[in-house]
Order: sequence, then structure tokens, then C-alpha cells
Amino acid sequence: MKIHIPRDEFMDSGHLACSGCGSPLGLRYALKALGEKVVIVIPASCMSIIVGPFPYSAVSVPVVHVAFETAACSASGVRASLDMQGDEETTVVAWAGDGGTFDIGIQALSGAAERNDDFIYICSDNEAYMNTGIQRSSATPYLAWTTTTPVGNVKEHPKKNIMAIMADHGIPYAATACVAYPEDFIRKLKKAQGIKGTRFIHLLSPCPAGWRIASDETIKVARLAVETRIFPLYEIEKGEVYALTYRPKGIPVVEYLSQQGRFSHLTGEEMATIQETVDHQWGRLAEKCQA
Amino acid sequence: MKRVLSGNKAVAYGVMLSRVQVISAYPITPQTTIVEELSRFCAVGDLEAKFIKVESEHSAMASIIASSLTGSRSFTATSSHGLALMHEMLHWAAGGRLPLVMVNVNRALGPGWNIWTDQGDSLSQRDTGWIQLYCEDNQEVLDTIIQAFRIAETVSLPVMVVLDAFFLSHTSEIVDIPPQEEVDAFLPIFERQYRLDAREPRAYFGLSSPDYYMEFRYKMQRAMEDSVRVAKTLDEEFGRQFGRTHGILEPYRCEDAELVMVTSGTVTSTSRVVIDRLREEGVKVGLLKVKMFRPFPMDEIKRVLKGIGKVGVIDRNISFGHGGIFAQEIRSAFCNEDERPMVFGFIMGLGGRDVTPDAIEDAIKVTLHNERPMEEIYWIGLKR
Amino acid sequence: MAGKIIFRGESEMPLFPVSSGDMRWNRTGTWRYIRPKYEDKTPPCNAACPAGVDIAGFIGLVAEGRYEEAWHLVREENPFPGVCGRVCFHPCVSSCNREHYDEALAINALERFVADRALALEPKPPVRNVRKEKVAVVGSGPSGLSCAYHAAKMGYPVTVFEELQQSGGILRMGIPPYRLPKDILDKEIADIEAYGVEIKTGVRLGTELTFEDLKDYGAIYLATGAHVSRTLNIPGEDLDGVLSGLDVLRNSNLGKEVRIGGRVAVIGGGNTALDSARALLRLGGNPFILYRRSRNEMPAFDEEISEALEEGIEIRYLVSPTEIIGHEGRVTQLACVEMELGEEDETGRRSPVPIPDSRFTIDVDGVVVAIGEESDLAFLPEDIRVEGTMVTTDTAARTSRKDVFAGGDIVTLHRTVAHAIGFGKLAAISIDCALRKRDVGVVLQGIQVGENGSISVAKYLDELARRRAPHVVVYEELNLAYFEHQARSERARASVPERATDFREVIAGFTEQKAVREAERCFSCGVCNDCENCYVFCPDLCVIIDGGVVRYRINYDYCKGCGICIAECPRNALSVEKEAK
Repeated sequence: MKIHIPRDEFMDSGHLACSGCGSPLGLRYALKALGEKVVIVIPASCMSIIVGPFPYSAVSVPVVHVAFETAACSASGVRASLDMQGDEETTVVAWAGDGGTFDIGIQALSGAAERNDDFIYICSDNEAYMNTGIQRSSATPYLAWTTTTPVGNVKEHPKKNIMAIMADHGIPYAATACVAYPEDFIRKLKKAQGIKGTRFIHLLSPCPAGWRIASDETIKVARLAVETRIFPLYEIEKGEVYALTYRPKGIPVVEYLSQQGRFSHLTGEEMATIQETVDHQWGRLAEKCQA
Repeated sequence: MKRVLSGNKAVAYGVMLSRVQVISAYPITPQTTIVEELSRFCAVGDLEAKFIKVESEHSAMASIIASSLTGSRSFTATSSHGLALMHEMLHWAAGGRLPLVMVNVNRALGPGWNIWTDQGDSLSQRDTGWIQLYCEDNQEVLDTIIQAFRIAETVSLPVMVVLDAFFLSHTSEIVDIPPQEEVDAFLPIFERQYRLDAREPRAYFGLSSPDYYMEFRYKMQRAMEDSVRVAKTLDEEFGRQFGRTHGILEPYRCEDAELVMVTSGTVTSTSRVVIDRLREEGVKVGLLKVKMFRPFPMDEIKRVLKGIGKVGVIDRNISFGHGGIFAQEIRSAFCNEDERPMVFGFIMGLGGRDVTPDAIEDAIKVTLHNERPMEEIYWIGLKR
Repeated sequence: MAGKIIFRGESEMPLFPVSSGDMRWNRTGTWRYIRPKYEDKTPPCNAACPAGVDIAGFIGLVAEGRYEEAWHLVREENPFPGVCGRVCFHPCVSSCNREHYDEALAINALERFVADRALALEPKPPVRNVRKEKVAVVGSGPSGLSCAYHAAKMGYPVTVFEELQQSGGILRMGIPPYRLPKDILDKEIADIEAYGVEIKTGVRLGTELTFEDLKDYGAIYLATGAHVSRTLNIPGEDLDGVLSGLDVLRNSNLGKEVRIGGRVAVIGGGNTALDSARALLRLGGNPFILYRRSRNEMPAFDEEISEALEEGIEIRYLVSPTEIIGHEGRVTQLACVEMELGEEDETGRRSPVPIPDSRFTIDVDGVVVAIGEESDLAFLPEDIRVEGTMVTTDTAARTSRKDVFAGGDIVTLHRTVAHAIGFGKLAAISIDCALRKRDVGVVLQGIQVGENGSISVAKYLDELARRRAPHVVVYEELNLAYFEHQARSERARASVPERATDFREVIAGFTEQKAVREAERCFSCGVCNDCENCYVFCPDLCVIIDGGVVRYRINYDYCKGCGICIAECPRNALSVEKEAK
């Protein structure tokens, strides 16, 4: 089962990501999928640091660093200018974290999506404000430890369903993806590149430091997220047509949760609750995918 | 071609003539008719531009920062709370050295909600690195927008063009709309070297350590300082092209003045009437209109006010814990000079309260009849 | 754009932050405290193969459709893929890690596939330096021919002396065609002769040939096998109608008359017994098998037993003959007792113990005794030490006489074709070391495959070949996320009615499509097969694909030591090392 990905590279070694970080892997795949005629918009996030400080850049495509909450509207601005220049080849890509997407950036994202502005928005989700030191975001999973939801006061609210929100904007294409499934991610991006309008990819990208896993477990844990159905891989077209792109095995969630220090405080009962929720949500997704 | 235009409509014409390519704006009273008029221009094809109907002012500024960096002449307009919301991004635009032009309709900040004219909104942004130009009438508004793009694109700093709420924005005056070809001659197509371009990939606005940041700020300050000269030169060129100039300062009847009143915005035009009347009564009073607030043209101010014994500054704003902002700037201009005028600070007209000729005259009288200011702040027209 | 950028003053800086270089100046290799390295290890199949075949290697080539290369790779170690693919007891399959996942690979079937496809191919002997010493091999069974083949490849002129009129030893005389068609054997022997090996048939050491005749040879390899049937030592063994299993098979394989038929009792539980019974069936007889222990203890291959049962051959367990009863010099009955299983013996199997008063008789037309074979070593001079019926040799196949070597069934009780082939190879290497005055002990240490004594001659001939750590990869060390369950490909088998009438091959080979599908199931435990997971999953782009002999390498200037490459290698072909500080 050889994994086939395009050979061209559009970034290089020497970048500042932590050892084992999923995010540069995601960006590497994205650039392979989309090619060099892109402009990447990066709001405050780990990626702002990863690609290197002034006067350097670890990627060989144009990048603009923008304020935290402005990924989507900055992408709209780039697109407007390219359109005025008659450029029909360059793809505008926003690469934001979960903070810049689910929380502080959601207004701009919603605005752009409602206008169906023409860019690909990739949310590289490591499930907390990792760059500033592992504080909780609305993407942090239920009962996870973070520095602002320490044990004794762990995250009491479920993860915000960003895909449902984006689907309900009626955008032409939304999809989940995961760094452990590069072919699936690349295929989705290539498909997105051929569609006009707001395209949204929710990419799960583990953070060894914040999830409290070893640096070599990134891919394994990412895979388990998919196989346990906690993070299924699917597409939504035009906000309505759902399609599963990978059939998960349905491994018990305990296999995933027990790998990570950020869940090490969970009781059996709590894990059972999480299993129930995952089963329920999976059931609903499966229904939508049949229809 | 002369038309009767409100200030907001004059803005729209200025933007259209400047061949703006990307507009991004969010409506707020009393800026709304600017965006409405621009929408109409775009719809009928008078203006070929992308108009992004963003969902907030913060997004408006962020998106034109991006479009400007990508290579398009870009514009937005706002007022009051919209400008306040943009604050973070004003820093970004100036630090990014982007030649943006924004019109701000001076309006008071709440609470309580107040839609009338007040300089507090624009002056709160005085540290952001934007050039600020205050207009007295609608002709100046239209002309200043055209000049603003030229200034911005020359010094690589964004320019804020300011006009009073309702007194200009919704008041109609005769405005001479210049022909497009003449504007094109004055304001060429926008091109920039460093832009977001897949053919020349670079990373913009990346993390700048203590090793570099100070130099970037130094360069900004130098550009600010240089923009005094640039603005003056371009204004002269504008004059040659269109037959009108507005200057960055305008002294009025200051030649033998014993005291000079310093004003900005529409208070200036009311003050001209008062100056004339008092001159007829033999009062040696002059008027200094300050158009360019940022950069604060220190040398020009000192030159014009040299030898003047008393200066009365009318501020339609206040910096809490200190006082009127124009007054502070005037005082600091003279602080190291051997000859310094007495500076009387008058605050009036906040939240759109009418600045009447009588009020102005009261301020002049206070200045005239006191050797030195007896109060740090003179509140004129306050209901005590 | 590379290297650190220095601005000497603000005038050299741009107006705003904009990049003008990349990050390659930042050698992030300084971050790590462990480092990954590519290290192939030993797959369990390779370690289990007594012939030392690079199984994972050849299966990988089959999966890529490179069948001819696969054939050559097998033949680096074993000149008999067509034979072994059919008759070997396949310890590779028993040790296959895939067994724990779904089903073990049908490695033997793949070896056979590769050989069968090569039937039309020539073996292409390479041009090599001819050595001046001559090598004599006594016995043309699998062990002798293996030694001859490897010695010839090393450049030695080799002569094989075979006492019978046809070469092949047990392969021709002992294994019936329905398991090993003779044209396959002939082809593989011809391929060995193509290397310049001369086979002289009808020459017996001790009769037509003496040790004195061999004094000009630089080395001698004795591989005469075990062809003397053990006797039951019960009354009546000398009656007409009592034959040994070896005799039945030899005559049957040579097309000569087999002098028994009808209802025949075959005594024994090994392959010889099973083969004798099945041969008699095909010759029109009505054989049945008597074995003194239970099916569990039967040494014959499981598949053989199953096929025999399918063919209708009855096997009676826990029965032992006590007397062969005859009339007028010809066998008519067999007297037996019933047995039960007692304590374990020296082979680890439970000993059969007669049950008192359980004697019974069976009417028979013939009896075949197939209870084991021994070697006839009478031809050996006294200075070649012998213990019982086996020649004494050391771990380098050396006998007590200088430059005389021995291997195969005459030195061991591990009597399989694969072991014999392995011995032949060992002897060839040992001969080469002796003649070149190299320390064979040191050499053997460096060419081990796993820890069961298998060796690789490819490694002997080229130090850089098959560089694999000796650690044998176990199932728990694999990353199975990259495999999907897939059942073993099956092969067609002749139906029972078809099988009963002639000696056609019972099991067919793989079709090409099935072979490739089966080969694709191989985990390639410990051996990199270019899946490129390491390249795919490196966040720091530190896996460089060179495309040369060393296909992948780590860019240690930037490798942060995250270990993802090691974790995501499906087959444990990377190892971790502590970073030297």
C-alpha cells in the first residue's frame, strides 16, 4: 500500500516547527497539491513562526503574514486585487489555526463565506492555541486538558462543529482532512482548486507538545482520530451533499484517548460518554452520507 | 465640471477619479452615502473596481491591506466606532508601508451613541503612523483624495482624509469635478515593486526581532518627516495642474496679528467670518488653518507663528487626562524655542455641538484679555 | 537564496519586513537527541530458510512483476527453486509474520511460480575467474548438486560422481512426479551443468572410484545421502511381497515394475511412507498406512497427509506391526498391536507403548516398510570419523580429514531438501575458505542470516550484499496500519478421480495475477521495499531520495529526530540511535 504523493517540494528544511509537528507536514502536502501559483495568507498561529522570521522564508511561494482574526478577509483582499489584474491562475490560500478560524477569526470567515469569496481556506487544527502556550480554543475537545482548562476544570464544552457552520453557509466545497492521510488531503485540495468560491478544509494536525504525546506519535494519533470516528474524513458539496471519503474501522475511542497525556485524567465513565457522543455523531454523519 | 455635491459625494467622485481598484467598506453613519455612491458607480460601470462588502471595518482595513500589497490601489471609508474597530489594522497598514487612502468622517465616540461631528475618532489614531489631512470644504475633500493617493504612493505611508460629519458629509456645496484625463496626468497607474506575486515569491510582514524592528520604525518616522515636503510639493503641482491649492497649513490674516487662532475642519470656515468681523473692529487677530495634523508640520507651524504672542487653539476633541490635542501639539512645537507664544487651549463642539461665531469670539476674547491662560482647558459652550 | 543575511545598517533594509532568503542556514539537526537510521533487519522467513534464500527480496520483485530478477535472486542462494517450491517443508511459511494478521504468505508457491516462469530461460552463467583447484562432489542429490553449483559459480571446475545411472538423488528416486515432475528437476539440473559442472553417472565411490583417484582434487564433498531402509526387525520381513518404501519409489520413479499391488500395508509416518502409499494407489493398488503414533506426531507434511486422506488412503494410527505372516514364501497377513502414547522421547514426541493383549491381524497382499533411512558409510576410510551412521563434521562441514567435507543426510537428522541445499552451500564456502586459506569461522559469523544457522553466499561473495542487521523482526515490531486484510491466494488442485489414475502434478501453480496479488501481501519484515512512508511523513523534508544504490538517506543537517519515519515504517527498516553529543 504505497502512498503516492507528488514529488515537487515548495518548502525546505530549516523551518522552526517543533520536532514531530503535524502542521509543516500539512503545508508540505498542500503545496504539493496546489503547486507554485499560490499566495498563502497566514494569520497569527504556529505557522507564522514556522515559516521563519524576517528576512527569511521557508516556503518558495508568496506569503503574507496578517493579523490574527483576518485570515479570511485578507484572502478576500488578495483575491480582489488578483481579479482586477486579470490573474486567473493564482490560487489564494488562507492557512489558519483553529484559533484564527473557530474563535477570533470566525467573523471574517463567515463574512467571506457568505460572500462566497474565491479562495481555499485551510484550518490547520491542533485543538488549542498552541502557539501561545496550549490555551483552550473552541476547537479543544470535550474534557481535554489545556493550560487554561487544567485538571479540575477541564474543557467542559464540546468541540465547535465548524464543518456544520461552513456547510450552512452554502459554500461550494468543504471537507475534513488529516495529516495521516496525505493522498486524501491532496486529492481534496486538487478538487477544491478546480472549484470557484469559498472552499474550506478542516485539517486535523496533532501537536505533540500540546496533546502530550511523543514526537514520533503524530501520525499514529492522527490516524486513530480518523479510525475511531472522532474525526471522520468526508466532503460536503454545496452545503448539502455529504460523501464519506474514507471508511473508518470504528476502533473504540479509548484507543485514541489513552495515547494522549491531555486525556490522561479521564475516567472510564467519561470515556464511555465520549464514545456515546462519537457514536451518535457518526450515526448522523453516516445518514447524511447515504442520502 | 461644477456640480453641487455633498461631502460624501465629493469623496465618491475623488475615489472614482483616482481609479481605485479595490474598495472594501462597512457602512456607518455618517459615512453611508459614500459607500452607497461608490456602489452605484461600480454597478453602472463608472468605476471599475472590486467592492468587497465586508462584514466589519476591521475586515475592511485588513482586506485592503492585502489587496494593496497584491498590487491594487485600494480605499475604504469609515467613521467613529468603525475607525476605532480598525485600530489594530491601522498600525498594520502603516507598518506595512502600504499606500492606502481612507476617508474618515469625524464623528463622536460613544457611549452614549452620538452620530455628530467630533475629532476624537481620528485623533485617537494619531500614533498609528497614518498621515492625517483635515478638510474644510467639499472641494478640498475631492482634491485631497486625489493628492492623498499621490502622497501615499510616494512616501509609502497610508493617508487618512478627514471631513466633519454632517457639516461636510451631508452638506452640499459647489464642487469642481476635474476631468479624468487631468487626474490621470497627476495620478499615474499604481505599480509597486514588492507585491504578492507567484512569479516572485517572498514572505511579507514576518516576525521582526529586536534586531530589526527599531530600524523599521525609524524608517517610518523618516518617511513621515519627509511627507511634509512631499505634500507641499505635490500640492503645488496640483495647483499648476488644476488651478487650486490647499496647502498643508493656511495662515489667514496673520501678517500683523497679535494673536492667532488655530483651527481645523469646518470650524475654520466659521472662524474666517469671525476673524473678518473682529479685524474690522481693529482686533489684530489672525487664523491658522491646520490641514496636515500628521505629520505635525513643526517647522512650518513655528515659521508661521514666529513672533506671535498669543495662540488660541480650538479643539473639537479631548485627550482625557491632558487636554485638547491640537493645543498639545502646538505647545510641544515651541517647547525648546526661546520665543514661545502663550497657548490657550479651547475645547468646544464635542459630540456635534454647534461651534457658533459667538463661541469663537468668546475664545478670542479670552485670549485677548488674558496675559496667560488661567485654565489648562477652557471649556467653551459648556452647560455648567 | 541561502545563508544568513546581514544588514549593515537601516539603509540596507527594506521599508517593511519582506523576505530575501530561505531558512537553510538554520541547521535544525542540532535539536535532536536521537537520530533515525536506515537499517534493514532479517525477516523471519529468511532466517528460517535452511537454504538461505532472500525470500523477502524475491517476493518484493515478484510483486513488481520482475519475475526474472526474482528467479536470479533466489538462485543466488538456491539452485532449486522449482524443486523447493514444490517439496520443501516451508519453515518460511510457518514463521511468516502475516500469519498473525490474516494468513501466512504462500511463499513456496511463489518460489515455484518464479521457477516455472523461468523454464524457458537460460541461467546466464557469469564470466568468472577460473580457479585452478578442482572440486569433487560425491552424490548428485540436492546437497551434492548445491555444492557443485556454488563452487562452480566461485570459479572451480567441479565434477560430480553419482553411483546411479541418473542424477538427482532423492529428488529423482524418492519423490514421486505428482509432487515433483521430472522435467522440472531435469531443467534445474541442466541449469547447474550450464555452469560447467560435470556429472558422471554410474560411478560409485568405493567401487568404480576410490579416494586415491580423487587425490588431484583440491577438495572433496561427500553427500551420498541416506538410502538404506531401516528394517522392522520382525519375523517375516524377508518374505516376498515385502519391500522398502525407497524401493517402491525408486522403481516407480524410474518407470520400472513395482513388485507389489493389491491391498498393501505401508508402515511408517514420514513422507516416504505417504509417497509410497500414494504411488501404489496410482499404480492401481489399494494401500493403507499404519503408523505407531498419532497424526500429531507424523513427520510427513500436513498437506501430504491431507491429500492422501482425500485420495481415500486410510491411515490407521497407534498401530505397530509385530509379525509378517506368509504362505509359501509370500506375505498374506500382518499381525499388529495397538499402541498408546507414553512419555516424550529424544525427538520431543511422545513414545508409543504397546497396549497389552491388543494383538490383531490384517489380511494383506504386500507390506511396505518405510520407517526411516540410514546412510551406508562403509566406503569411508578410517580417518574420516563417523558416529553411528553419520559422518562427524564441524560447523564448517569439515570432516576429520583435511579438505574432505560432508553434508546433507549423512551428517544430520534434519533431513530435508532445504537443509541439504544449505549444507551444499556451506561446504562450497568452506572449501573456498580452505583453498584460499581464509578463516572460515570468522567468515561464517559474518554471513549468518538470522540465528538458525542459515547463511548467505551472496554476502560471502560481496560484503555489501544483503546488509541486514541480524535482529529477526517479530510481528509486534511492524506497523500494520498500512496493510489491509487479504486472504491468501489459492491454487487449483487436481480432483481426486484425476489424481488416482496417474502421476500428474496434484497442485497447480499460481497464475501471474494470483502470484502478484499474493506477493503484494508480503510485509517485507525488516527489509525496505521503497514504500516511501519515511519520505511522505517527514515534516522537515529530511528524507532524500537518491535513487542510487543507497536509495534513501537522512539529511542529518536538519533532522530533528522526531522519529516519525521510524514509527511509520511498516516493516521496521529504520532504527533509532542515541545522538552522540
